[in-house]
Amino acid sequence: MANSVRPAAIIGHTLRRVTFFSLVTLTTLIALGLLVSVFHTDGISPMELLLLLLYTILFSWICISFWTALMGFFVILFGRDRWAISRQPAGSLDPTAPPPRTAILMPIYNEDSERVFSGLRAIHRSLADTGRLDGFDFFILSDTRDPDVWVEEELRWQDMVRALDGKGRIFYRNRPENTSRKSGNLEDFCTRWGGHYRYMIVLDADSIMKGETLVEMVRLMERHPDVALIQTPPIPVSRESLFARILQFASSIYGRMFTAGLNYWQLGESNYWGHNAIIRIQPFLDHCGLPKLPGREPFGGEILSHDFVEAALLRRAGWEVWLAYDLEGSYEEIPPTLIDYAKRDRRWCQGNLQHLRLALSHGFNALSRLHFAMGVMSYAASPLWLLFLIATGVAAYLQTKQELVYFFGENWIPVWPVSFAVEMTTVLLVTLTMLFLPKLLALLLLLKDRKLLRDYGGLIGATASVILETLFSVLTAPVLMLFQTKFVLAILMRRAVGWPPQQRGDHMTSFKEAALAHGGHTLIGIVTGVLSYWYVPAFFWWFTPVLAGLILSIPVSMLSSSIALGRRARQLDLFLTPEETDPPAVLRYLEENLQDDEPVLPVLRETPHSRFVQALTDPYVNALHLSLLPERESPGKRRRHYLEGLIHQLEEEGPDSLSAAQKRDLIADPDTLRQLHALFWSRPPAHAGALP
Amino acid sequence: MDRSKVSAPHPYLAPPVAAPSSELLFGRLGAYWQILGVTDPAQIAALSEQALRRAAELPETPGLDPLAQVLLAAGELLDDWLARALDLPRTAQSLAAARAALLCGRLPDWPKTLFAPPGEAESLLDTLQEAIAEPTPAPLPATMPAQRIELFSLLGPLHRLQRGTSGA
Repeated sequence: MANSVRPAAIIGHTLRRVTFFSLVTLTTLIALGLLVSVFHTDGISPMELLLLLLYTILFSWICISFWTALMGFFVILFGRDRWAISRQPAGSLDPTAPPPRTAILMPIYNEDSERVFSGLRAIHRSLADTGRLDGFDFFILSDTRDPDVWVEEELRWQDMVRALDGKGRIFYRNRPENTSRKSGNLEDFCTRWGGHYRYMIVLDADSIMKGETLVEMVRLMERHPDVALIQTPPIPVSRESLFARILQFASSIYGRMFTAGLNYWQLGESNYWGHNAIIRIQPFLDHCGLPKLPGREPFGGEILSHDFVEAALLRRAGWEVWLAYDLEGSYEEIPPTLIDYAKRDRRWCQGNLQHLRLALSHGFNALSRLHFAMGVMSYAASPLWLLFLIATGVAAYLQTKQELVYFFGENWIPVWPVSFAVEMTTVLLVTLTMLFLPKLLALLLLLKDRKLLRDYGGLIGATASVILETLFSVLTAPVLMLFQTKFVLAILMRRAVGWPPQQRGDHMTSFKEAALAHGGHTLIGIVTGVLSYWYVPAFFWWFTPVLAGLILSIPVSMLSSSIALGRRARQLDLFLTPEETDPPAVLRYLEENLQDDEPVLPVLRETPHSRFVQALTDPYVNALHLSLLPERESPGKRRRHYLEGLIHQLEEEGPDSLSAAQKRDLIADPDTLRQLHALFWSRPPAHAGALP
Repeated sequence: MDRSKVSAPHPYLAPPVAAPSSELLFGRLGAYWQILGVTDPAQIAALSEQALRRAAELPETPGLDPLAQVLLAAGELLDDWLARALDLPRTAQSLAAARAALLCGRLPDWPKTLFAPPGEAESLLDTLQEAIAEPTPAPLPATMPAQRIELFSLLGPLHRLQRGTSGA
């Protein structure tokens, strides 16, 4: 595909990147120079060399983040970015082309069906408000394995179709096998029905998008035929726990600066974050079929974090990938507690580490490689920070063991040790500035817009929130560092970290859960504190923020999961976001759907013990489920025997004796389903209540 | 161990009846027709008679007792009518979809349609047709070839050079 970027744009884009990377390199070199000047006086020891290496990697990582934020600050301050996708002139349009059709895809996997469909209905209503509903179809692409959730999804889908008169526009399918997980789910859509549509907008189970935003995304794609993907920045919303509200506030207030900064230097070579993005289907079909990587997991096998790879493949084929930083109305939900946040990290960590191999692969663009490297660093940074802290502690301890010599040879004039306090303080101050200045800048940006400042709780509320958020992030950073280090090590050693699935809804962390998750952190904090206080007292005081985070991890984790504290903070104008202060219509629709929605289908008004049993007993649920099963060949003899065995087990021991996978096998086979329906009506269960 | 003293737990489903009485047959069939929405006793009786006749014609399904066999026949009776009335292909999917449409609550009077003389219940049949779910659009198959990703290896440049020369 020929890239038709104009020469002025090429020069502009290049200049931006040269500026950005020069600043990153220069800052890293200056900080490194200061540190080398401290170390080199008596030669650089292996320990110091290790410290220098770690510091260079970690500091350059901080620099990228800092300069991105600073660029974003100026972009928002001056109110425009001339190279943003939304501001560029339209490309050549084909006037004979039919109006585009867009599929809105929601891939789901054992999610809370009520929330999924409430969200979709809110998006549908918001889209209807724009008057452009006709250009969009909805697809619920289920990979759900849990039989109860599966049946619930089918009923909720039918209810949505009935309530919104959506026959032929709102579709549902459940894949018999969830091959290649989410990427396989999307591939299945593209290869079966993708040909009906020019674009697909990929959502996550908790995504919410304004109708206007969806329409604008399509309009941008239509205006820019060289663009294959536009990512919108999703803003976290709708959670009430203190932890989530702090994160929502941080993402909202700092995030807009970072995304503006990312767009500043990434431009048409941006990245894909897996959801809340629009994709041109034909290039996706042509270039984004994912291969299996050679070798074993964690680095081989299926590509787990497919989004980065798909963006890189599109770029490799010459298509543009943009981040529409200025497109509002794109939302997502975040984990409600620190522990759930860590669980999500566990899932993402392996996929991102796999990118280590891809960063060096042949044929990808330089920025795609950088995206891969940044993905790796978002998790690898934690073990590196840990190593850096340990190395610093050991170096400080060794320093205390050195005896100072003031007189050399027969020289009677003492040689005083050289002090490097100024250099070391400068290094520390530069690092801290780079970490915390973006927070201050984000606060300053609010002064530019009175309404926005009010929405964030006014000057006092916003300032207090930034200070408290900073303290909270200082406390939680060491905990996340240890979590992520554990995940990285476990993945590298091919060990499973056994944790139940992440809970998406708000819920409190119990003492038991917190103690199990953070007991080790607390112990490490106490032991490290005692050791450093005993052997390296000077180091101890520098180390207190890290120690405090670890020692207080159990109470911090429990308290921050509190919904009551989250609400109290809101009453005090703390951690407010514009989406909380003045919620957009689509979020109000979601709230209404969750609170007041009365299902059209009578069967959904009941809450049965088990939707699985309902699929066997209720004639409507049974027929609906049967109608949604894919046509398949009759099972072979061996499979038949297996299913008969399960039927006997169900007859004798009841549904609770079957595993979720066994229940799924039973209701995935049409003949078995019909047979069980007849069995349940001919021989009703001894315990009442199973039949309607 | 005295095995006679070991009591077997009650099975979850009631034990099968090898030769069900007609009272039992009509009782279970009646309950089934009622849950499907047929309330008129005369209609229930007529449908039950038909189901019994049909069950006698059906080949025996392994694992199903006679009562279950009759209930299966009742379902097939309904499918037959739906296929004829709506001119449906006799696939398991389309028949189940029509049955779900019938039972979804949009046609509470559907038994009237069933017993109406031909041509007198067209509007109800239209409503029924409209109520049939459409889970997915017609397929429009496309291919998505797996892309080649050449992972880093020290000999990579040599391999590429070799491919380049052999290609030329």
